[in-house]
Amino acid sequence: MPLLNSNAATLWGVDGAYTSYFEALLRGHRGRCQAIFEAWLDAPVDVRVLYQEVVQRSLYEVGTLWEQGRISVATEHLATAITESLLNLVYPRLFRQPRIGKSAVVTCSANEYHQIGGKMVADLFELNGWRGYFLGANAPRGDLLDLIRDKKPDVVALSLTVYFHLEALMETAAALRAEFSAMPILVGGQAFRWGGRERAEGIVGVRYLRSLGELELWMNSREPHAV
Amino acid sequence: MPFDPALAEAALAYLMETAPVLVLRLDAQGRVVAANERSRKVLGAEVLGRTLAEVVVDFTSAPDLVASGSHDQSERLLSLNTVSGLPESFLFRFLALPDGTLALGSPDFDEQARLQSELLGLTRELNNLTRQLHQSNAELRELNQLKNQFLGMAAHDLRKPVGVIMTYSEFVLDEAGPELPAEHRKFLQTCLAAATGMKRLIDDFLDVAVIESGKLGLELAPATAAEIVAAAAEIGRLVAKKKQILLVVAPADGTRRLGVDAAKLQQVVLNLLGNAVEHSQPGQRVWLSSQWEDQSLTFAVRDEGPGLKPETQARLFQPFAQGGTRKTAGERSVGLGLLITRKIVEAHGGRVWVESIAGQGATFRFALPVPPQPVTPPLA
Repeated sequence: MPLLNSNAATLWGVDGAYTSYFEALLRGHRGRCQAIFEAWLDAPVDVRVLYQEVVQRSLYEVGTLWEQGRISVATEHLATAITESLLNLVYPRLFRQPRIGKSAVVTCSANEYHQIGGKMVADLFELNGWRGYFLGANAPRGDLLDLIRDKKPDVVALSLTVYFHLEALMETAAALRAEFSAMPILVGGQAFRWGGRERAEGIVGVRYLRSLGELELWMNSREPHAV
Repeated sequence: MPFDPALAEAALAYLMETAPVLVLRLDAQGRVVAANERSRKVLGAEVLGRTLAEVVVDFTSAPDLVASGSHDQSERLLSLNTVSGLPESFLFRFLALPDGTLALGSPDFDEQARLQSELLGLTRELNNLTRQLHQSNAELRELNQLKNQFLGMAAHDLRKPVGVIMTYSEFVLDEAGPELPAEHRKFLQTCLAAATGMKRLIDDFLDVAVIESGKLGLELAPATAAEIVAAAAEIGRLVAKKKQILLVVAPADGTRRLGVDAAKLQQVVLNLLGNAVEHSQPGQRVWLSSQWEDQSLTFAVRDEGPGLKPETQARLFQPFAQGGTRKTAGERSVGLGLLITRKIVEAHGGRVWVESIAGQGATFRFALPVPPQPVTPPLA
C-alpha cells in the first residue's frame, strides 16, 4: 500500500515532483531527495516556497504518518535527517542576501531535539536581510545568554515542537526578560497547537507567531520592534 | 506459568519464523543443524552445516564456548559475518541440549538505540556547523569587500597629494637646483625618492583593490612579444642603469600576434625586471627573453642575485610575501608586486612561476596560452 494518501499527494508548483520527493523521503533515499531538491533550487523555486511547501509540509505529513502508526520512529528520524541535510543546499544562496543591519538569535527550547523549525525561522530572517544566528537544539541556556550578550540581536526567537517542553521555554523566556528587559521575544512552533500561547504571552514583550508567513509579516511591519 | 503446549508451539513458531533473534541448533561438534528464518536471512542459508566458529569474526573464543559445554546462561558478545558483507554483533546465550547446544543470539537493542541517538545528534551538530560556516563565510566576504573599498578609497585619495609632492620636487630641482646648496638639493632628491616610492606602493594598493574586488578588466588587442618586450625594456634599462646593472634583452618575435592586454603585461614584465634589479649587485646582469612554443608564449626574467630557498618560492606569489632576501640597495616594498603579477597573468589564463637555486640567481617565467583564455579573477 502506498504511504501517500490522495490528499497528501496533492501536487503543487513543480509537476509531480513533490510526490516523488515524499516517496523518496519515506524510503530514506537521500540521493533522490537531493536531486529533486536541487532541481527545485535551480529552477529556481523561491526558498520560502520550498520551506513551506516542501520542508514544512513533508515533515508535517511524516509526523501524521507516524502518529497513525504507519511509519516507525526510525523512518521519521531518517526523513528528518535527510530534510535537514537538504537545507545545507540552500545556504550558498541564502547568505548572499543584502543586509539591512538587523539580527536575530533563534534557538529551540531546552530539552528540544527538533530543530528544523527553528532553523527555518533563522533562515527566514536571513532571507529578509537580517543576520539570523541559530543556536542548535537543546542548547544550554547559558550558551544562549552568552550569544545574546555577544551579538546584541534585535530579537530572540524560541521554537517549541514538543508541548511537554513548554515549561523549559517559559523559564528561558523569563531568564531573557530578566536580563534583557527591552528585548522582543518571539515564540512559535508545532507545540502551540496544544496550547501555551496565553502563558507565553503572559511574559511582557513575548509574542506568539503562528507561521513563517506571520513571522515575515512581523519582520516587514513598520515597527518590527513593537511586539 | 504452567506449561501450555499450545503456547509453546506458538512461541516456537514466532521464534523460528518472525522474531528478530538468531536461533541456531548446534550438534555435538558445534555444527549448525537448524536455523530460524532470521538466522538464514542474516547469515545466509548456507549457514546450515557450518560450525559457529566459521561465521564468527573473532573465532578464538567460539569453539571453546561450544566445546567446553559452558552453558552457563551468561551472555557473550560475538560478531558474525553477515550476507550484507558487514559484521554484526549479537549477544549470545548457549543452552545445553541432550545432543548438542542451542545458540540464541540477540542484537544489543540498548546499544543500537544509543548509537542511533548519537548519530542523529552528530548529524544535527554537523548541519549546524555547516550553516555557521556558510554564515561566517558570508560575513568574511562582506568584510573583505569593505576592506577593498577602504583600500581603494584610501589609495586613490593619497595618490593625488603624493603626485603633487613629486611634481613640485622635480620642478624646484629643475628650476632652482643649480642655485641651491648641495645639501638642499640632496634634501629635495630625498623627498622625490621617498614620494616616488610611496606612489609605487599606492599604485600597488590600488591594483590589489581593483583585482580583489573582481574588477580587473582586460583590454585585449593583438600584440607581438617584441612590442611587449620593447616597451618594458625601455623603462627597465633606466631602472637597471641607475644601479649599474646591465639589462640584456634577447631578440623577441615581432611577427606573431596574440590578443592580450599589452599594457598590463608590460607592467608584469616591469615588476619582474624591477625585482631582479632590486636583488642584484652593481655590475651583475639581468636577462629578459621571450619564446613561442606550440601552445604558449613564455617570457623569462633571469638575474644573478642571491636566489630563493624552496620554502620562500612556495609563498612568493601570495599577498604581502617577502622574498626572504635583502634588497641590495635597501629598496622598500610591501610584497604585493608578485601578487599583482600573478593575478594579471592568471586573468590572461596563464601561469607564473619561479626557478631558483639559493645562491645561484632566479628565473621568473610566465606563460600565456594560445589563444589566451581570460578568466574572472578570484576574490582572494
